[in-house]
Amino acid sequence: MKSRREPKLSRRKILSGAAASAGALATACWLGGCNRASRSLGKKVIVIGIDGMDPRLCRSMMLAGMLPNLAKLASAGSFSNLATSMPPQSPVAWASFINGAGPGSHGIFDFIHRHPHQQCAPFFSAAETLPGEGSIEVGDHRLQFNFPPFSHTLPKTVLRRQGIPFWDELDAKGIPSTFYDLPSNYPPSPSHYGHHRCISGMGTPDVLGTYGTYQYFSDDSPSKGLEEGGGRRSKLRFIRDSAKTTIVGPDNAMLKTPTPTTIEMSVHRDRKSDAALLIVGDHKIMLRAGEWSGWTRLDFKMSTPRPLPSQSASGICRFYLQEVAPHFRLYITPINIDPSKPAVQLSEPKNFITDISNALGLFYTTGFQEDHKARSNGIFNDDEFRQQATMVLEERLTLFEYALKNYEDGLLFFYFSSSDLQSHMFWWNSDEDALHPTRTTPEAASRFQYVKDLYQKLDGIIGDLDQRYGSKVTLFVMSDHGFANFGRQFNVNSWLRDSGYLNPRETTSVLTDVDWSRTRAYGMGINALYLNLKGRERDGIVEPDDTAEKLTKQLIAQLEAVRDVNGQQVIRKVYRSSEIYSGPAMEFAPDLIIGYSRGYRASWETCLGELTPEVLLDNPSPWSADHCADALEVPGVLFSNKSIRSPQPSLTDLAPSILDEFGLPTPKTMTGKSIFQS
Amino acid sequence: MLVTLVLWLNTISNSIAHILLAPIAWLPGWLSASLIASVTGIVMLFVFKQTSNQSALKRTRNQIKANLIALSLFKEELRVCLRVQLTLLAQAGRLLALSAVPILVMAVPMCLALAQLSLWYQARPLACGEQAIVTVHLKPTINESLPEIKLTPTSAVDVTMGPVRVPASNMICWKIEAISRGLHDLTFEWGEQIFTKELAISNSFLPVSRERPSSNPSSMLKYPRERPFAAGSPVQSIQIEYPDRVSWTSGTKSWMAYWFFTSLIAAFVARPLLKVDF
Repeated sequence: MKSRREPKLSRRKILSGAAASAGALATACWLGGCNRASRSLGKKVIVIGIDGMDPRLCRSMMLAGMLPNLAKLASAGSFSNLATSMPPQSPVAWASFINGAGPGSHGIFDFIHRHPHQQCAPFFSAAETLPGEGSIEVGDHRLQFNFPPFSHTLPKTVLRRQGIPFWDELDAKGIPSTFYDLPSNYPPSPSHYGHHRCISGMGTPDVLGTYGTYQYFSDDSPSKGLEEGGGRRSKLRFIRDSAKTTIVGPDNAMLKTPTPTTIEMSVHRDRKSDAALLIVGDHKIMLRAGEWSGWTRLDFKMSTPRPLPSQSASGICRFYLQEVAPHFRLYITPINIDPSKPAVQLSEPKNFITDISNALGLFYTTGFQEDHKARSNGIFNDDEFRQQATMVLEERLTLFEYALKNYEDGLLFFYFSSSDLQSHMFWWNSDEDALHPTRTTPEAASRFQYVKDLYQKLDGIIGDLDQRYGSKVTLFVMSDHGFANFGRQFNVNSWLRDSGYLNPRETTSVLTDVDWSRTRAYGMGINALYLNLKGRERDGIVEPDDTAEKLTKQLIAQLEAVRDVNGQQVIRKVYRSSEIYSGPAMEFAPDLIIGYSRGYRASWETCLGELTPEVLLDNPSPWSADHCADALEVPGVLFSNKSIRSPQPSLTDLAPSILDEFGLPTPKTMTGKSIFQS
Repeated sequence: MLVTLVLWLNTISNSIAHILLAPIAWLPGWLSASLIASVTGIVMLFVFKQTSNQSALKRTRNQIKANLIALSLFKEELRVCLRVQLTLLAQAGRLLALSAVPILVMAVPMCLALAQLSLWYQARPLACGEQAIVTVHLKPTINESLPEIKLTPTSAVDVTMGPVRVPASNMICWKIEAISRGLHDLTFEWGEQIFTKELAISNSFLPVSRERPSSNPSSMLKYPRERPFAAGSPVQSIQIEYPDRVSWTSGTKSWMAYWFFTSLIAAFVARPLLKVDF
């Protein structure tokens, strides 16, 4: 009898328990829903970030009637130069936009920082991968488990940007904000209240952990292959028009000596059809010469000690068959992290990017999507680079359409990178300098026309936004900086050597053969100059007293006096960080920041501390325009459909302005002011 | 001999499946996958009942129960426990042996049934406008060059690229684009000889034959829908790279696991009704 009663009682318990649970769940959902519900009261603010859009070009094109929508926006609302950060480098500028304050608040002063305790060892300023701690060794493998009893610390990448991003203020007030491809935000900073969504942009790596490494296969590559900045060349050896090779994936970090994982690829070409068949793992890809494949998933198998199950790292890439004959040339994009199942967090919340991928399919996830390295290294010609950049833009426009369809209220930020990377390659303003260092004048003019065409395309997007929303939104169209020709390059370390500040004369790189006991200053990164300060640098010799001050004054005076062979001033101004920066994140601030004149930039070798025999050189790279000059030379743009009261708006003013639009005060951590208030 | 046998089995299974699996074409994928798995689970249970020694199975199961009780009663007695555990092991082996006959009886029909189901769930037909790669595998020859086989576009399918000849692997590939819905034949011509391959174009369910196989029994079992090429044929097989079907219940990656678990659940549910011991 007892055994019969128990099930009845149990069933009743289950039913009442289920009802209680359902009630609790419904209440929780309702409360959660309340918490998640927008408190922006229907207010809409859209910010379109167009990297590198230049105010001078915008003005001239608007005057010529080539940007009707931006001109309309300017006349109905406002248009102004937007003061940028010093230095005007994208990671620095976007971090200033994010914090509403300068580099002293976010701690990003250049693309590259140096570690003073390791005597100028360079590292990327925006994110850092910290090594794990603890492991167990099994055969050739070194394994890390983050659960008891092992409790190892796994390696992780951390965002180095410090300070409080402005969306935290919106998040705390229940105002939704959504950012697509926000630079200087990888890994994405967390949303504390669940109202902030973001996909990381510039700074997001590929599966190899780099900013983008293409792979190029040809029958005329060096026989042992070639590693070059941003890519890798491999030689194909055809037998009966078939060749076998491997696509290189991420390192297997589970090995004691990490080695790259690979996937076999067989390549079969048919000269008569001018096409090729690629067999990559289980995938067959057939391409005609000049054709791009769609996105292809690659699974890189990683060996594990038996009996542990094998692991794999997946990524996505596209194939571009450049030529079948006489030379076979195949380009593979950097292997992007798969947005449909990302191996690392690419968005906040984590499922934001997978939801988008479920709706749109696969897309670029690396920070630098236009493959400028392939163009700089001669893998692409101008037309091929433009074709790839246009594909990226088309993908971005699909994402933009998705963003608008899924936008109800609050803040929407959308970022376009094409204007920056296409300008780097195609910009040449012949009014400033008639002679391009590598192109004929008509060629340079036709390439510059590509930039103008792109501006017109972006103008169309703004027109579309205006038609959709009109005055129902507050619209900002902004850029982080403008652009200038880059015809001549200045090697600051070579200049320091020639001026006796850096020794010995035979030094080839500050990373390898400099004599620190005879070196008083060095350059690292694009605009940064450091004193070899005693007590701060490992091998510092400059006393941090009057000696340092005297040296600083001397360097500023001499650098500002540098003239090119034609008598032109190379450096517009040298800034002391102590004068232009303030805030709690000054640890890696350089001592001096070099503001180049238009037409000049730090030399390619300068960035990683290399020296060249000459101080001033022509720039032979297809990368023939830049913005890493003096901030006053390359301001950004600011368009709005509302009147701007501020006479000289700055990047740091945008965060307070957005908060102001939602009725929120400017936090004390911000140095900017709302542009809508006088 | 084996080839003829498999050919004969495929002919029968194709005829039966043509009738029994026809509703898949118009039912939602989750429903057809669930119904088929449930019915096969119950049929398997019924066949198991008919082909197994039920009284011996019942007796063995009772003995196992008795030994489990003995194990709990005499857990302090080490020798008894050991002896009971040995007996349990033997009885588990006996259960397995008693299941061998039904498993053997069901093995071939189940393989044929799974091959038929894979025609529907392992891939999806091409949608109109979608492209796919077609590969003709040729009989290895000592000639350096491959034969000039032609694939002619039709009103149902366009040939957008190719041929790409791969002498090293004795294969020729084309890229095709689907134009109109239905089951069509791709026609390959080599001189006077004609070779065909079925192509499925649809936005819903159609049987998809991914390969017209060679006269190899295992390939024939795997791809049962089309008649294999003769052993002496210059064309050995023709493959079409159909897209994966994405679904938890009836998709490429999971339909078989779903079928297995659902049929198992159906068998367990039906077990008291059919009074089957296993």
